[in-house]
Amino acid sequence: MSYAYLFKYIIIGDTGVGKSCLLLQFTDKRFQPVHDLTIGVEFGARMITIDNKPIKLQIWDTAGQESFRSITRSYYRGAAGALLVYDITRRETFNHLASWLEDARQHANANMTIMLIGNKCDLAHRRAVSTEEGEQFAKEHGLIFMEASAKTAQNVEEAFISTAATIYKKIQEGVFDVSNESYGIKVGYGGIPGPSGGRDGSVSQAGGCCN
Amino acid sequence: MQETELHDLSDDADYAASQQHGSASITRSDSSKRSSSSEPEGAEIVYLKDNVTIHPTQFASERISGRLKLIKQGPSLFMTWIPYKGQNSNAKLSERDRNLYTIRAVPFTDVRSIRRHTPTLGWQYIIVVLSSGLAFPPLYFYNGGVREFLATVKQHVFLVRSAEDANVFLVNDFQDRLQRTLSSLELPRAVSVANGTPTSISVSESPNGNQERTDEGFYDGSSSTSQYNGRQKQKLHDPARDPLIHVLEKFSLVTKFARETTSQLFRESHGDGFSANGRRIHNQSSLDYPRKASDEPQKVPDEIPQKVPDEIPVPSDPCEKTSCRNQNHGEEAATNVGSFELIDCKEFGKLTVWGKPRLPPLGLEEWATFLDSEGRVMDSKALRKRIFYGGVEHRLRKEIWAFLLGYHSYDSTYAEREYRGSLKKSEYETVKHQWQSITPDQAKRFTKFRERKGLIEKDVVRTDRSLSFYDGDDNSNVNLLRDILLTYSFYNFDLGYCQGMSDLLSPILFVMKDESESFWCFVALMERLGPNFNRDQNGMHSQLFAISKLVELLDSPLHNYFKQNDSLNYFFCFRWVLIQFKREFEYEKTMRLWEVLWTHYLSEHLHLYVCVAILKRYRNKIMGEQMDFDTLLKFINELSGHIDLDAILKDAEALCICAGENGAASIPPGTPPSLPIENGSLYPQQDDDDVL
Ligand SMILES: Nc1nc2c(ncn2[C@@H]2O[C@H](COP(=O)(O)OP(=O)(O)O)[C@@H](O)[C@H]2O)c(=O)[nH]1
Ligand SMILES: [Mg+2]
Repeated sequence: MSYAYLFKYIIIGDTGVGKSCLLLQFTDKRFQPVHDLTIGVEFGARMITIDNKPIKLQIWDTAGQESFRSITRSYYRGAAGALLVYDITRRETFNHLASWLEDARQHANANMTIMLIGNKCDLAHRRAVSTEEGEQFAKEHGLIFMEASAKTAQNVEEAFISTAATIYKKIQEGVFDVSNESYGIKVGYGGIPGPSGGRDGSVSQAGGCCN
Repeated sequence: MQETELHDLSDDADYAASQQHGSASITRSDSSKRSSSSEPEGAEIVYLKDNVTIHPTQFASERISGRLKLIKQGPSLFMTWIPYKGQNSNAKLSERDRNLYTIRAVPFTDVRSIRRHTPTLGWQYIIVVLSSGLAFPPLYFYNGGVREFLATVKQHVFLVRSAEDANVFLVNDFQDRLQRTLSSLELPRAVSVANGTPTSISVSESPNGNQERTDEGFYDGSSSTSQYNGRQKQKLHDPARDPLIHVLEKFSLVTKFARETTSQLFRESHGDGFSANGRRIHNQSSLDYPRKASDEPQKVPDEIPQKVPDEIPVPSDPCEKTSCRNQNHGEEAATNVGSFELIDCKEFGKLTVWGKPRLPPLGLEEWATFLDSEGRVMDSKALRKRIFYGGVEHRLRKEIWAFLLGYHSYDSTYAEREYRGSLKKSEYETVKHQWQSITPDQAKRFTKFRERKGLIEKDVVRTDRSLSFYDGDDNSNVNLLRDILLTYSFYNFDLGYCQGMSDLLSPILFVMKDESESFWCFVALMERLGPNFNRDQNGMHSQLFAISKLVELLDSPLHNYFKQNDSLNYFFCFRWVLIQFKREFEYEKTMRLWEVLWTHYLSEHLHLYVCVAILKRYRNKIMGEQMDFDTLLKFINELSGHIDLDAILKDAEALCICAGENGAASIPPGTPPSLPIENGSLYPQQDDDDVL
């Protein structure tokens, strides 16, 4: 299937907050509580539509443990969007957000759109971080914010899609030079050529890979 | 594979005979294959020659004679070579050896070239090189008939003489659509074949003085079996009977590197002799054929981009420009290890290296022959060698892994091991008790403990839960994983727990079943792999660095490619190295790979050569499709489950031997699994939290 744009996303946050479950819920529309923990990085992809344009999201799901930070940092390169995830039932995962954000700011491009997700909101009875605190943090750091549940699928679509919508809007506003792939955006068929004009081969590229 | 079925020649009398002979254990898949096969429609023998012989070793007594045939079936032509049964007086040659070398039915669409050799003394022989880069051993025509053979081939397939070497015949079957596609893809190269500059190395037509070395090589064909007890030999599962093992795999893959490097080694160590004979020695040929698409494992699924290279010329696999120039190590490797055959096949001026065929896993009876009456392993080197080439049967793993990992010493007796086991068990209980006795109140004030415990509990429920051994709610084996990991994090408090450890422990517990034994085996493994999990990742970095050095040594164009694409950090090999390929193979294959790696037989660092072997296998795809770091990472990730373990092990073996001392020198001292060099704190501490 061809796409107008391809956006690279990266999912970051402490281990166990539900990054892989969010990805699976988004790509496969299912919740699988038993799966293997992530070593290194894993990939997912899905087509969405924004403004009637097919957009392919290529999503990088990372390992969360501190030891792996140095390698995780190399994955930020060229990401257009990031989902920064914490677990509303575990306070420490919220406390670590600042350090994740610092990594992202340092290693990603400045225009990367970051979505803060308070996951596992189905476990409201075990909540350790209030919605207001999440909102407050997002506001302070200029992030989009949502609480979501990979289990019930609540807000999962919305989180991924509104991130894409924000990126799309930035493209429309000319924030990116989309011909420069370091922004994590590839132009496919029907996409707006970047300021420097369309790139040769983008059409066939779009047709070539749709996994 | 369709092809195999289509060309199954089980009706062939010789084939049938060779099948009946030997062991009775015909695998289930084999029998199903046989039953489904039928007389190939319109198969016709267009050429038949008796007394065509291979020389697996330099001993005349070990030569294997057989019948060579060309068979026409529909538009396709096949070649078979079936050794005679029961004729050889030499007992050293088992039926198994014979089967191993049998060429069942190779379609000419898989053949790249045939080289004819006409030594001044001795028999004419040919070397058939497959498009995969693999070559069969030289076929000596004791009764003549090479010319007739070539003429017959030419009648049925498109055969052209190489413009630069009249003894090389290039095969291209234009009847075959796949082949046609490949041929058209190779057009630029085909052109270079036609008017290529005459740069091929003309190494020799086997000067007689070197005959032993060149034609018959160093191949220690008997050494793989000489380890066996003679009476067991016949009972071994014969890999040649396993239809899953493609005929192409019966001889290890010949990487171009191996050919060229060996040629380099060979040339340097024998160069004088050759020049004295007035033979010209040229530099690197420009005729290297990048691997064809057909070179990829056929199982590669759709998810893996199968894009055809956009006509991007891929730098050929090296070449004498690699620093494999050590004069001696080629010979040494060949003789010490006894697993390679150097053959002056002049395949575009290159020599051919064959790794040893993989063996069936070590079985119970054969294992017994390694033990003395009190249970000591008499020759641990021989044992490790045996396991290196075939692994062990699953039921023996519990016993043998304890040796391989170093939990038990090879020279211990049954009684000593039992006694030690009981001591170790109470030692384990002592350490375990340390965390078990932490009261809830104490835990409240012990953040590090709570964090560790929390992390381990989160991870053990995400480890191999799809295996029945670990599945289901409240699985007791999952609880064992937790207890062992938590105990380990107290036993080695400095290192603690890090993700990936549960992946390493899982197969150990699956094999050992026993909690204390699993713990101690895991401890032994972590003695070597602990640095993988250091907070500063120094163990990982030194291994990734070593891989980059090895690739630089063994495939400099690929190295340059990674360099240009800002990929020299080799992070795409991270998961491979961190957990010893655990996520790249199915469970059983992982266990097989691990026991091979743990033999430390050729090198402690075989796993690094495995990395290089995999990368080299896909080098043309990587470079041809101009993969950038992201694409590469994704591509490598998705190779998981599609890597042919046996083929890769053979490649890794070949690479390890070819790299020789230069390879060893590329690996910094103390690189895991080598033991750390300096004493003091093994696991440097940092002040910040354990977990984020
Ligand atoms: N109740 C609930 N559990 C979740 C949710 N998302 C993930 N989990 C659980 O949290 C565990 C860790 O999730 P995982 O996706 O592996 O975390 P990751 O390390 O961030 O990738 C899983 O075993 C899930 O059972 C959620 O939205 N609700
Ligand atoms: Mg994960």
